[in-house]
Amino acid sequence: MHSIFKRFREPIFVIALLAVPFAIFFVKAKQGRDLNVLDRAVIFAIAPVEKVITLSAFAVIDAWHGYVALRNVREENVQLRRDNLKAHQLEQQAAELRLENDRLRHLLDYVDKQAPARLMLARVVAVGASPHSHTLRIARGSDDGVAKGAPVIAPEGVVGIVSQLTGSYSDVQLILSPLSAIPAVSQRTRSRSTVKGTGDISRCKLTYALRTDDLQEGDVLVTAGGPGFFPHGLRVGRVVNVVKRPHGLFLDAEVIPAVDFSRLDEVAVVIEGAPRAQGVAAGGPAPGSGP
Amino acid sequence: MTLRTALVLLVAIALTILESVIPHLLHLRAARPDLLLIVVLYLALRDDVIQGAALSAAAGYLSDLTSATPAFLYTFLAVLTFVVVRTAGAALRTEGGIQSAAVAFGASLGHSLLATLVFGFFTGAGLHFELAPMMWSAFGTAIAAPFVFAALRRVDASFQHGEEAPRGFR
Repeated sequence: MHSIFKRFREPIFVIALLAVPFAIFFVKAKQGRDLNVLDRAVIFAIAPVEKVITLSAFAVIDAWHGYVALRNVREENVQLRRDNLKAHQLEQQAAELRLENDRLRHLLDYVDKQAPARLMLARVVAVGASPHSHTLRIARGSDDGVAKGAPVIAPEGVVGIVSQLTGSYSDVQLILSPLSAIPAVSQRTRSRSTVKGTGDISRCKLTYALRTDDLQEGDVLVTAGGPGFFPHGLRVGRVVNVVKRPHGLFLDAEVIPAVDFSRLDEVAVVIEGAPRAQGVAAGGPAPGSGP
Repeated sequence: MTLRTALVLLVAIALTILESVIPHLLHLRAARPDLLLIVVLYLALRDDVIQGAALSAAAGYLSDLTSATPAFLYTFLAVLTFVVVRTAGAALRTEGGIQSAAVAFGASLGHSLLATLVFGFFTGAGLHFELAPMMWSAFGTAIAAPFVFAALRRVDASFQHGEEAPRGFR
C-alpha cells in the first residue's frame, strides 16, 4: 500500500489538488463567498499595498495637476467633485420622485416607505486581479459600517454591490458580472425588466422585458427599488439593440451602463437605512419584473 | 517550504498586486494580462509536479480572492491548466520571448474559454462567450509573458536550477 502510494504520489497529489477545490466550488457555486481567516489575512496583506500604490500614483498626478493649475482652484475642484457626487444622486432621485409624484398625487394616503440612505465616499484602490473578474476594491470595510450586499453608486449611476469585505476593504461586484441582476424600470414607459450582466465589459443584457412594452433605443433605465435591492431611481443605463421577434413573451435588448467602470476613482456606498441590495440568483427574474 | 518556493509565492503576490493596480491606474478596459496564468505556465513547464501543482493552486487562490467569484473556481482552473500544459509540455517550447508569448496567448484563450464554461455551467449564470475580451486578454497576456518568464527564470537562476525539470508525470 505504502509503495503504491509512493509510486503514484504525484498523480494522487495532483488529483487531490483538482478534486478538493472543485468540490468546494461545486458546493458553493451559487452562494456568495464568505471570507475565512486565511482569506482575510491575505487581503489584509495585499490591499494596503494596493492602496499605497494607487494613492501614491494619484497623489503624484494630483500634485502635478495642482502645480500646473491654480492651487486654490484644484482644491475647490476636489470639494466640488465630492459635492457633485451627492448632488447627482439627489437629482436623479428627485427627477424620479417628480415623475412618481405626478402619477400618484391623487393617492392621498401616499407614504414614502423608503428609508433614508446615507452615502459614504470610498476610494477605488484596485480592480479584480483576473481579467475575467468584474470587481473593484474600495478602501472602506465593515469597520466603516459597510455591509455585504450594500449598493455602490457613482454620480453617473449604479456601480454594483459589495460582495465580500474585510475590516478596511470591500470588493464590489460590478453590474457587468454574470452573477448580477438588477430590477429596472424604463424612465419613459415605466415598464419593468431585469438588467443582467453577461461578463461583457461594455454592456449588459435586458431580460424579462415584455414584447408588448414600448421600449425604444435610447430609453433610460433606472433601478426599480424594492426591499432587498438598490434604492429606487438610480440610473442603470440606456437601452440599445432592441429586437422584437414575432413570437415569444419577451423582447431582446442590450443595456449600455451609465457608468464607465474603467474610470472610477471614487464611488459612494449606500449605507444605513437603505435597503440592502443583492444580485438576484442568476437565471431568474427579479421580483416585480416580467409577467 | 523552501526559500525558492517562498520567492515564487512572493512573485505571485507581487503580480497579483500589479494585476489589480495597473489596469486601474491606466484605465485599461480590455487588454488586461493574466499574469498569474503566466506563473502557472512557467511552473508547468519548468517545475517538478508536486511543487508546481501546489504553487499553481496558490496562484489560483490569489486570483480567487480578488475576483469575487464563487470560492476556488480559479484555484481549480489553475491546477487544471497546470496539468494540461504539463501534459503537453514536451510539444511546447518557451525558450525565446516569441515562443513564450505564443504559448501564453493560446493558454490564455483556453483558460478563458474553460473559465466561462465552468463558471456559466455551475453557477447557473449561463454561458456568455465574449470573444473580443478573451482575445484582448490573451493579447495582453502574450505581451507580458516574456517579462514574467524572465523574472521567474532569474529567481530560478539564483537557486542554480538551470536544468529543466523532467517533462510530464513521472
